[in-house]
Amino acid sequence: MFAKEVRSELRARVAVNAIGLFGLTTLVAVAYQIGPYQIHEQDRPHLLAALLWIILFFAALSGLQRVFVKEEDAHTAKTLRLAARPLAVWGGKLLFNVALLAALQTFLVPLYCILMGMRVQGTLPLVALLAVGCLAMAATATMVAAIIARAAGSGTLFAILAVPLMLPLLVMLIQGTRMAMTSPAWSDILPALQGVGALAGVTMVTSIYLFPVVWND
Amino acid sequence: MRAVSTVRVTFSALGKRFGARSVLKGVSGELRPGYAVVITGHNGSGKSTLLNLLAGVVRPSSGTIDYRAGGTPLPRHLWHTVVGMAGADMAVYEELSALENLHFFARLRGLRRSLGELEKLLCELGLEARDLRRPVGTYSSGMKQRVKLAQAVVHEPPVLLLDEPSSNLDERGHETAADLVRKFRPHAALAVATNDPREMAWGDERIHLGN
Repeated sequence: MFAKEVRSELRARVAVNAIGLFGLTTLVAVAYQIGPYQIHEQDRPHLLAALLWIILFFAALSGLQRVFVKEEDAHTAKTLRLAARPLAVWGGKLLFNVALLAALQTFLVPLYCILMGMRVQGTLPLVALLAVGCLAMAATATMVAAIIARAAGSGTLFAILAVPLMLPLLVMLIQGTRMAMTSPAWSDILPALQGVGALAGVTMVTSIYLFPVVWND
Repeated sequence: MRAVSTVRVTFSALGKRFGARSVLKGVSGELRPGYAVVITGHNGSGKSTLLNLLAGVVRPSSGTIDYRAGGTPLPRHLWHTVVGMAGADMAVYEELSALENLHFFARLRGLRRSLGELEKLLCELGLEARDLRRPVGTYSSGMKQRVKLAQAVVHEPPVLLLDEPSSNLDERGHETAADLVRKFRPHAALAVATNDPREMAWGDERIHLGN
């Protein structure tokens, strides 16, 4: 399933283009208007951490929500329902969203650090936070995308459902990133890392039980 | 020689409503190996809905569907393992080639078919070998129909549900679909939804929907 998703995306490039262009445009706009010198030194960790996750969050949403809608639009969902176990579909879609988000982070975070002059004390803790955050965001987006796939006005519905679910996640990710910017110690970032990891775990376990019902009904 | 399947599907008093609109009401019947049921009815009478219900992709509003393999009830989450279906509202991936599509659906079903075997199946259904590696999006509607038929039978299902299998096919294509039915008929339970008199002739029994 994952291999098919990657192959399809490499040919159609719908999600990659949406995420990449949104991310890059937002980053350039932020860097142009604010840049590395417009923020006071004491405000830098708060503002830079928040801006980074706002860019990542909205760029991710623009692409991740399509993962099931595209199957319904192309009338391939029924063919897929008849051929695959629901969890194989969910697993493949989740892995694809994780890969997409990881690619976005790999491309966008270093660029953001350069353009915004973001200095990180705890590089490894930040990488760990980005990885766990990627999993949590992808898991939430995948489940919400499955729920809204057959609804009319799915784009609006996605935002309505995803934002409250992702808000606590975003708050923890911003706090963790702020800590990684100011301290190299793992102990400082650990509460955020644990919180995000717990959210990822809860979302995935819930999805394992909920997805077959959502997918088949 | 392929063994005769032991899967039987019994459905009774099936009904389906979409909101206030009743599409099917009190439909009963049985699909059994070596036996073909033809479902007819005017447009909107619920032919495709009945096939969707039998395949398990839509839940009935009333009535029951019972799958039995060798007399043992088959739980709903396993129905897809014994069903093959090609319908008008089903599609394959346009950005993938016919061969990639078939390979993907075979793998999803846990089958390890060689590319040669898959090529053979697609060619048997009337596709040219030179077309198998270009994206399905570039195919004509008749060629897409052949790929849909191939994905429905790649796992040699004991229950085969076909919704207007010859639609979009030319005379040669119709013969190909008829050959497919002839090939599966001796050992599989077949249901064909159609209003085409030539396809209606394939059935041992006819269920007419609507007035």
